[in-house]
Amino acid sequence: MTPLRTVSAFVTTTIGLALLAWLSAITFPLHAASESRLRLSFSARPERIEVCRTLSDEELAKLAEHMRQRVSCDGVLATYTLRVDVDGMNIGESVVRGAGLRHDRPLYLLRDYPVPPGEHRFRVSLVRREKTDDDAAAYAKAVVPEVDTGLYAGRAQREASERARRAGAAIPSSLVLDTTFVLPPLRVALIRFNSDKRALELYAEETSR
Amino acid sequence: MHFLKRFFRRLLGGTEALLSRMYGWQWNPMHQAGTVSALMLLVLIATGLYLVLVYRVGDPAASVARIAADPWLGSWIRSLHRYATDIFVIAAVVHALKIFAQDRSWGPRTLAWISGLVLFGIGMVLAVTGFVMAWDSFGERLAREGGRLLDFLPIFSEPLSRIFAGEGPVPSAFFFVNLFIHIAMPLGLGVVLWLHISRVARPTVLPPKRLAWGIVGALTLASIVRAAPLGSAADPLRLVTTTPTDFIVAWWLPISEKLSPGMAWSLATVFGIIAVLIPRFTRRPRTASWAPSVVDPRLCTGCNQCPQDCPWEAITMVARTDDRPTLVALVDPALCVSCGICAGSCAPMGVGPAGKTGRDQLQRLRAEILPELAVSLHMPIVAVTCSQVPSAHVEAVRALGAHIHPVTCVGNLHSSVVELFVRNGAPGVMIFGCPPRDCVGREGPKWLQERLFNDREAELQPRVDRRRVRIGTMAPGDLAGTLAAFNAFVRALDQLDAPVRESHLDIEIECEPVPFEDSSV
Repeated sequence: MTPLRTVSAFVTTTIGLALLAWLSAITFPLHAASESRLRLSFSARPERIEVCRTLSDEELAKLAEHMRQRVSCDGVLATYTLRVDVDGMNIGESVVRGAGLRHDRPLYLLRDYPVPPGEHRFRVSLVRREKTDDDAAAYAKAVVPEVDTGLYAGRAQREASERARRAGAAIPSSLVLDTTFVLPPLRVALIRFNSDKRALELYAEETSR
Repeated sequence: MHFLKRFFRRLLGGTEALLSRMYGWQWNPMHQAGTVSALMLLVLIATGLYLVLVYRVGDPAASVARIAADPWLGSWIRSLHRYATDIFVIAAVVHALKIFAQDRSWGPRTLAWISGLVLFGIGMVLAVTGFVMAWDSFGERLAREGGRLLDFLPIFSEPLSRIFAGEGPVPSAFFFVNLFIHIAMPLGLGVVLWLHISRVARPTVLPPKRLAWGIVGALTLASIVRAAPLGSAADPLRLVTTTPTDFIVAWWLPISEKLSPGMAWSLATVFGIIAVLIPRFTRRPRTASWAPSVVDPRLCTGCNQCPQDCPWEAITMVARTDDRPTLVALVDPALCVSCGICAGSCAPMGVGPAGKTGRDQLQRLRAEILPELAVSLHMPIVAVTCSQVPSAHVEAVRALGAHIHPVTCVGNLHSSVVELFVRNGAPGVMIFGCPPRDCVGREGPKWLQERLFNDREAELQPRVDRRRVRIGTMAPGDLAGTLAAFNAFVRALDQLDAPVRESHLDIEIECEPVPFEDSSV
């Protein structure tokens, strides 16, 4: 290698490496300093809209023994209208339903809404769309199970309590969070579902890990 | 497709020429793009072994921050790991574009093309998972976008994106799976790499040692001088104004983020299908210059040289169907890339693509070229040039008075052609090929050197004065080197006696065609 070529190789290598280091860590602008967000994120089971009836002893007798379920219910999972208002202005409204092709999976929600920093009144509502009185929870309370005997003693009560448990774990037919909050710049205010309280809550005080 | 090919040929040719001017063709990394990417994989494995020892899935951001803050070892090893990733991506893309531009992506090379795409895809997944491991703002950005895209597909029972929503800490299981993918996939990479080179007889996996150490040394120095930056620790509930983005790996990220997941997947699928179908779009009819080699069984002596020289393992020796006691060569057209290297390897000149066998070369020389040269008082110096070398170099050598004798590849040139030129009174024959690691026929310059100067089968006969024969390289961007080599040869020839033109000249052909019943082999 001639001295001239050595110098040119050195210069080219230096330029190439500098270019590599630059391309390897280009500082991309991502969010403006005057930006913040409202995020909705939670998962919960939708209510099951059911029409139930108690089978008579004759009907039960026609079924195979292991199929004898005292209360028979047909139904679908509920759908909900999600509405988000900031300072009285609607910034998003949509229908949400359970996941999966048949919408029979839990409902997963993850939405981001750009909101300018500052004090805002947030109102988030999730209201069931289906109007019905005979939902599972109501029915479960109303049903007076007859006493099964023998191998199936207590079955009707177990069915009723399971139905009540499922209804209890589901989202209430109407969820509303109405709160005023100061949103700092470059922060995300998270609204999530508290399954113990069965209510929406704002989570923004602490940052995540 | 032809327009694209021309475009990339010019773009890459220009860059290659520039680098040859700066480094010299022997050190030009663009001639080694494929092997450079393989070298980077080794660097990544070596540096990755250290990093995985100090990485903690329970506290990824803090453990990577500790590594980055360690000035003695962690900082530069992490930076080297990252820069090697970038070079891997660049080298792989250059390698693929060169193969595409040089028309080497179809036919028997289809498997290498497809497996190369898979290798690149695996490499990109490894790169992305590596960045996510660091769990800084850039890693989080990649993970968030990856989650958004994956959630569009019916794969996961729960959306992946909610992991990064901030409802709770990102579970260690996520980082464990990410680490597992990052470590397990290189094993798959090894298998696909084997497939990638499986059709090649003598694959060249790594660059020459000096170049390899030069690249590793330069990257190490860069890692020490300028450590790769680490973004702020990821926090799903904070927005960042800027993030240090590795544009080489994540050039697609700003585009993808602006598209809906369906559109992003559609675009990726369309580009993926086009890339996979490149061999279909670029394939040529197997006629004329793309015709596969054929064997004339009447001439084949069963010497077993052409299967050894074939870079694509397209030739095997099989039993003859007549009563001669030798084997006979058989070309598999599905594996033959029509490079013509077998034509140069066959002493009796019985194999090669139609029109390129040793006999065809001699016939053309006798019928067309020598009579034309014979009218001149003095035979000029002959420059045999590969069809792939830059035309400007060829014209420059012609301008110096040389007679240009083009061949498709110097590995295709039969030594008898050189002998015929010299014994017809040519003062000298200089053969110009491509840079050895950039030969389209893979091993043209290598076998030429062996046949002319090291007595490899189909060797140049001892009666030919070796001082009148020389091999040179015409590298794009190094015209000065070409001219210097040619002028040095001219000066060396000036020191010799005047060349003698033999009056009754006949090149001895070892096997004249003999009547033979079965010529179907």
